[in-house]
Amino acid sequence: MSEPRDRARGWILLTLFAAMVLVAIASIRFGAIDFSLRQMFEATIALLSGREPATLDGRIFAQLRLPRAVMCLLVGACLGVGGTLMQALFRNPIVEPGLVGTSSGAALGSALYFVLGSVLKFNAGPWALPVAACIGGVVATYLVFALSRAGETGRSSIVMLLLTGLAINALCLSGVGFLSYIARDPQARSIIFWNLGTMSGADWTSVAIVGAATLGGLALALRYAKPLNALMLGEEEAMYLGVNVARLKWAVLTINVAMVAVATAFTGVIGFVGLIVPHILRIIHGADNRYLIAGSALLGATLLSVADLVARVSLRPAELPIGIVTSIVGVPVFLWLLRKRQYVF
Amino acid sequence: MLTATGLVYRVGRRTILDGVSAAFEPGQLHLIIGPNGAGKSTFVKLLARLTAPDAGRVQYGDMDAQAFSHRELALRRAVLSQAVEVAFPIPARELVMMGRYPHFTGRPSAADEAVCDEVMAFFDVTSLGGQSYATLSGGEKQRVNFARVLAQVWRPLDGTSRYLFLDEPLTFLDIRHQLGFMKKVQSFAHHPDVVVVGVVHDLNLAARFADRLVLVDDGHIAAAGRRDDVLTPAHLLKAFQVQPVMIRNPDDGGLHLIFE
Amino acid sequence: MKRNIAAIIICAAGLVSACGRFGKTTGGTADTERMVVISQQYNELIYALGAQAHLVGVDYSSTYPPEIKSVTTVGYHRALSAEGILSLKPTIVIHDNNIGPEQVMRQLAELKIPMKTFTAKDDSLDGLKALLREMGAYFHKEQRADELCAALDRDMAAALEQVKQYTTHPRVAVIHYGRASNVYLVIAGKGGTGDGAAASQMVEWAGGEQAIQGSGMQRLASPEIIAQANPDIILMTEFGYDRLGSIEQARTLPGVAQTNAARTGRIYRVSEHELTYFNPDTGRSVEQLAALIHQSQP
Repeated sequence: MSEPRDRARGWILLTLFAAMVLVAIASIRFGAIDFSLRQMFEATIALLSGREPATLDGRIFAQLRLPRAVMCLLVGACLGVGGTLMQALFRNPIVEPGLVGTSSGAALGSALYFVLGSVLKFNAGPWALPVAACIGGVVATYLVFALSRAGETGRSSIVMLLLTGLAINALCLSGVGFLSYIARDPQARSIIFWNLGTMSGADWTSVAIVGAATLGGLALALRYAKPLNALMLGEEEAMYLGVNVARLKWAVLTINVAMVAVATAFTGVIGFVGLIVPHILRIIHGADNRYLIAGSALLGATLLSVADLVARVSLRPAELPIGIVTSIVGVPVFLWLLRKRQYVF
Repeated sequence: MLTATGLVYRVGRRTILDGVSAAFEPGQLHLIIGPNGAGKSTFVKLLARLTAPDAGRVQYGDMDAQAFSHRELALRRAVLSQAVEVAFPIPARELVMMGRYPHFTGRPSAADEAVCDEVMAFFDVTSLGGQSYATLSGGEKQRVNFARVLAQVWRPLDGTSRYLFLDEPLTFLDIRHQLGFMKKVQSFAHHPDVVVVGVVHDLNLAARFADRLVLVDDGHIAAAGRRDDVLTPAHLLKAFQVQPVMIRNPDDGGLHLIFE
Repeated sequence: MKRNIAAIIICAAGLVSACGRFGKTTGGTADTERMVVISQQYNELIYALGAQAHLVGVDYSSTYPPEIKSVTTVGYHRALSAEGILSLKPTIVIHDNNIGPEQVMRQLAELKIPMKTFTAKDDSLDGLKALLREMGAYFHKEQRADELCAALDRDMAAALEQVKQYTTHPRVAVIHYGRASNVYLVIAGKGGTGDGAAASQMVEWAGGEQAIQGSGMQRLASPEIIAQANPDIILMTEFGYDRLGSIEQARTLPGVAQTNAARTGRIYRVSEHELTYFNPDTGRSVEQLAALIHQSQP
């Protein structure tokens, strides 16, 4: 009886994959500079054979455009999967990867770098910012998890996690606010724009790092799909079904942090994707986590690439911060879908 | 055989269970009764190994319950608790299939699908299979959950018993479904390799369906054994502070309690 | 969250008000220089020197002189993208080390795009003149640079002469109002290279006295400090003044309302451009400023 359901699921994932490929091609083709198919082809051949492309346009394509397009796919997948994992873990549809402190911690880390970096005249090269942001994200999340373990049972209940996450988020964001206040104008601006996100820093090294985090995280997440389904019934019920709930929570949170912290470290805070991608998928075909995790990787990648395309093209040669575009692009789509189908929470 | 020895459970300074011991043989329907706050639910949760006791031991056959891994235990032990609230849209049949999760990794096998078919037919929810669980009525949800829980232990296991725990399962059911459910549980319990332990409030249902009764009062076992040994006026007065009229049916030996 | 909303509003406002500035391709002949200049100060001086013929791209904050708005903008100087700059096919990118995000500089360097920064800084009149000469040399407009420097010297000398005739030294506060409700940005302090060094200097040249001590742009937490300083004259930059609409509104601002300046109605609108950094018009600005603060009460 679940055969037709499986087939429908397969078709949906296939469609998402095709959409992702199409959007990816568009995003490497169009932008401040529109490349012709021939230019793209030649530059790619040069890149693959280890040479530098001959023309400046070719080098722009190989060193700026292509890594950026790949980064969009990877980060989009990270954010989408992170959203699905969080919503499954908290059994709540209004939950984002940033809820456990990852995004706000990363924001604090980056703000510290912007402000103290200039005060201490500190220049540790291009890795200082991503490392600071990543550390911030990981530390904040660890704090949330550790603090929420208080209580008689010694296990962290999900409600405690949520509340502690809220508190740490508030703390980090007020830290960011304070740093913006005391910062000089250029640093304050940097903080603002970092919090709106940008994909423009992508190069092949950062793509490799984010790629490892994304693909590794995705593979692990898929393995936890079934226990997460069981968790939908409640912690107690999941335990009766044989799920080690404490270990599941720990594992899923770690995967989420690794993916989202690493992605955020390189691109700044990009909101909304983790929230709406699982919703859209659920509206289409229900809440089985195996389908959701795979689908949210594809849909997240697609959505973020579309958003980046809009960010790069709408005001060219200037760029919009991508966080603005994700909100503007994501919300109407979500509202439209919500109205079309009866969606029961 | 399920054995509990000297179970003690405390929450803060309150002692919920104070040295409770019992034995539950397979092939019989064991029902636990008792007043509110007696510790019945806690007792079942300890038996089902949801929590560990502060003292004492639960044994499944020869093995200590703590010795099993989560998954090993889930292969042989299923628990039906209060109605489950699911926040996401999911078809009823997929919910039932979750009962088979301990038995497969990756995709469900044909055997798992067969179990779902059988179990849904058993509880008369086959027609609800494609509907979203959230749109079902309270009673329908309850029956779908019965199907899920029973799917977990539907098939016999090699060399070991299966254990089913029911924690006040009748809440949302109308009288017809209450009786229907108890009959089905009874027939399942009468398999020689099945141990069923349930908690019910309705003393008349307990009287009608139980093979063995356990009366829990104030953290210890006030009485255990056959119906007529447990449901005595003295026990009922002490535990529930009621003095029902007890009527025996001479034809089938049934006991009915009438409360005024 | 509030910060994001503020930034979104800033961007939206920018979009609406600057619609015409995006998406154009500007001038420059095919085989000659194509300059992208990302600095408000540099761009103003380039136009003063008459060297704008090869300018194909500027940053969003470069709004002076008005004709610069017909040049394509590559975006806000702290939120640039390398590709955007490169799409204008520049032969050189000129900036004042104030480009963000950080990776843009790195990416341009990796693609071996020629970049230039001028060594002189216009944090003083001498600095301004040095910068003019350096840029003049670079753009082959040496003569014009000399003219501008000479004019500047003349104007300043004339202004300082004028100032000598005034006997009073009114206490002046320069206020940049409007960033956040009831938080005044007071441009104070002397010397150094902080933002606002120019304004303090100019107030002194104009024969006034800084009412509020400190260095650089101060962010004040409360209006009490303004009330306590009690300036005789308040110079308000056009952004805040125009928002308030009239001097009557300005006089009612908390903190301001308690000052001599409010009582006597001596709150004047000044252009931020004239006060916040040194430019070729500074000499004339000083003279105007002197006249302004020494004029008799209305």
